[in-house]
Parts: sequence; structure tokens; C-alpha cells
Amino acid sequence: MKNAFYTVGFMLAVSAVFALVLSLANAFYLPTIEANDQIDEMRDILYVLRLDPDGDADAILARYNDAVETISSPIGDIHARRDEGGAPVTYAVPFTGAGLWGSMRGYIGVNAELDEMTGLAFTEHSETPGLGGRIDELVYREQFIGLPIASDTRLAYGAAGGETIDAITGATSTSNAVLSILNRVLSDNLPEVEVAVNG
Amino acid sequence: MAEGLRQVISRNVWKDNQVLRQILGICSSLAVTNLMTNSLVMGLGLTFVTTLSSLTISMLRNLIPHRIRMIVQTLIIASYVILVDIFLKANLPDISKALGPYVGLIITNCIIMGRAEAYAQKNPPLLSAADGLFAGIGYTLVLLIIAFIREFLGFGSVFGWQIPFLNFEKWTIMVMPPAAFFIIGVLIWVMANLFAPKSGKKS
Repeated sequence: MKNAFYTVGFMLAVSAVFALVLSLANAFYLPTIEANDQIDEMRDILYVLRLDPDGDADAILARYNDAVETISSPIGDIHARRDEGGAPVTYAVPFTGAGLWGSMRGYIGVNAELDEMTGLAFTEHSETPGLGGRIDELVYREQFIGLPIASDTRLAYGAAGGETIDAITGATSTSNAVLSILNRVLSDNLPEVEVAVNG
Repeated sequence: MAEGLRQVISRNVWKDNQVLRQILGICSSLAVTNLMTNSLVMGLGLTFVTTLSSLTISMLRNLIPHRIRMIVQTLIIASYVILVDIFLKANLPDISKALGPYVGLIITNCIIMGRAEAYAQKNPPLLSAADGLFAGIGYTLVLLIIAFIREFLGFGSVFGWQIPFLNFEKWTIMVMPPAAFFIIGVLIWVMANLFAPKSGKKS
């Protein structure tokens, strides 16, 4: 009996010590990690707005504050890029949806006329690294740049509507999830975007 | 224990190299070796974890109840790995992204558990820490050798620095995981031949 108490007590003590150390480390670094995540999200927004997403944190922050304006809307904050005269050039529209393993979050870029996609970026997803996770690769995402869109557009893989988008080999479910999210965003959110940006 | 520091070093780095002789830690050797920078960070992360976990486990070795020793080892290893993960996320976000899930997977790297079970459990703290340290260094060196071959042939660069005046067709296969299989296979074969008893003189 004494032995069993010792075993349990020892386990509890070791767990408590290490949990404490980890909590302290986490609390100490949390602000830095959150700041890094914010910079990453800004990079994604800059990318879909067709602005340069490269550079260190300060450069990103400066460029973002300089060129990007936030418009609140029922579907979340839309980020607008305006030219010197104040006319809109591109919009970054947020989206969320179900991926294969968990929810995905990201931005699609659309031009000022809302009839062409200017980029696609995923801020958060939990797809399989090396398979579905390859939706982060530029080779996949660049296919969406310049696609003509409207609220009744139905994107499909293969040769559809004169444009060809390829799915990712070995990641059919993830590829399909991305398209169904995009199609839903186009049909449900594009009209909302139009209302939000045109007053 | 009769083993001194010198033996610990030569055993871990060369004679019983964890990757090439013990065939441990193969998963990450295949996954993160396409760039030298990533390999170096991975190696340093693993070295840090093996050293400290071996040290901790060795210090607690007379207190840990035998029946739950594996669970305690896992807890200690996991804690150090999470520390590494938090540190990378905060200070080296780009590399943390490139390494992705592999940092968390250091927990399951057999080298650490192997050193804990085979060495730290029965040896004094400082020697165990040295054993963990050099096991990690041995692993890092192998990763760097593989990464050097892959990055040089696949991207024409070393540690991200493009080699000038070098104009050859890049080997795409080297960027992809199978290349690590071939290279590790060849290295294991070389090492096995170096240390195998000569044929014909079988003892």
C-alpha cells in the first residue's frame, strides 16, 4: 500500500512541477507568439491584395498600415487596398469553412469590380502536412489568381469555364473542401461584400 | 561505470551513431533534411531535449518508481519538447513554420527514449547529460550531411547561400523525401561495412 501511495504521489509531484514550468514559459512567450501570428495574417492579407508580402515584421506592419483599410461587414472585416486617389484596387474577403480535419480560415482577394479573384491564402488550417497541407503552396494557390468570378460561379477542378484549376494529388478531400468553401463564399458572401463596400 | 567521457563521445558520434548504426530517429531524418538550416535547428532542438531529459531522468533515477518509469520519462521529454516548440514559435517563427509538426514529434523520436532507457536510468547525471548531448550531436551531424547533399544538388545552395558560378540542372528528386531514403541507405551501408566483421574471417 505504501508503495502505491508513493507511486501516485511521485507522479503528481512530477506532473505539477513540469506543468508549472510550461505554464510560466507559455505565459511569458504568449504575447510574442500572438504578435507573430498577427504579422502572418497581415502577410496573407497583403498577398491576396496583390501587395508585396515579403520583408521583416516592421516592414510588413508599415506596409499594412500604409495601404490597407478595414471595412466592417456582417461577414467579418473586409480589408481594402486603395490607390493614391482613394479608389479601391482590391479587397481581401475573410472566409471560414470545414476542411478535412478541422476548420479552415483565410482570405480571398477580389478586384474592385468584384469579378476577378486576385489571390487565395489560408491563415489557419489543420490539413495533413505534406498532403492536404500543400494547399499552402504557391503552386496551388496561384491557380486562383485571375479567375473570373460572379456570385453564380461554380468553380470545379479540371477544365471548367475555360480556366483550369488542378486539385492536389493525394489530397482529394482537402481539395474538394477548398472549392466548396470558395463556392459558398462566392454565392453567399459576394453580394454582402458588394453591399459593404459600396455603402 | 567504467565508461569515460571519451568513450561516450566516440560511441555516440561515430561507433554507435543513433541514426546510422542504431537506425533510430529515421522519420525526422527523412522529413526535415531538404534544407540545411531546418536540419540544424531540428538537430539543436533534439540535442537540447536529449541532454536535459537524460540529465533530469538520471537525477531522478533513484526516486522514479520502476513500474511507472516510462510514463515519467515521456512526461519529462514532452515537457522539454513543448518548451522548444514555444521558444521556436516565439523567436524563430519562419523556421517553426517550416518544421511544422516535426518539432512536436521530437517527443516520439526514439533516440531520446532510447538514451533514457538504455543509459540515463543507470548512470550518474553528468555522464548521462554528456551521453544525451553527444547522441544529439551525432544525430545533428548525420542530418547535416544528408541535408548538405540534398540542398546542394536540389537547390544549388548551402545554408540558403546560392553557390556562385555553379550552373547545373538541379535534381528535383533531392528536394523530395525519397532522396533522403537513398542517401540514408547509402550512409547506413557504408557504416555497416566499416564496422561489420570482415567476410571470411567470421568469428
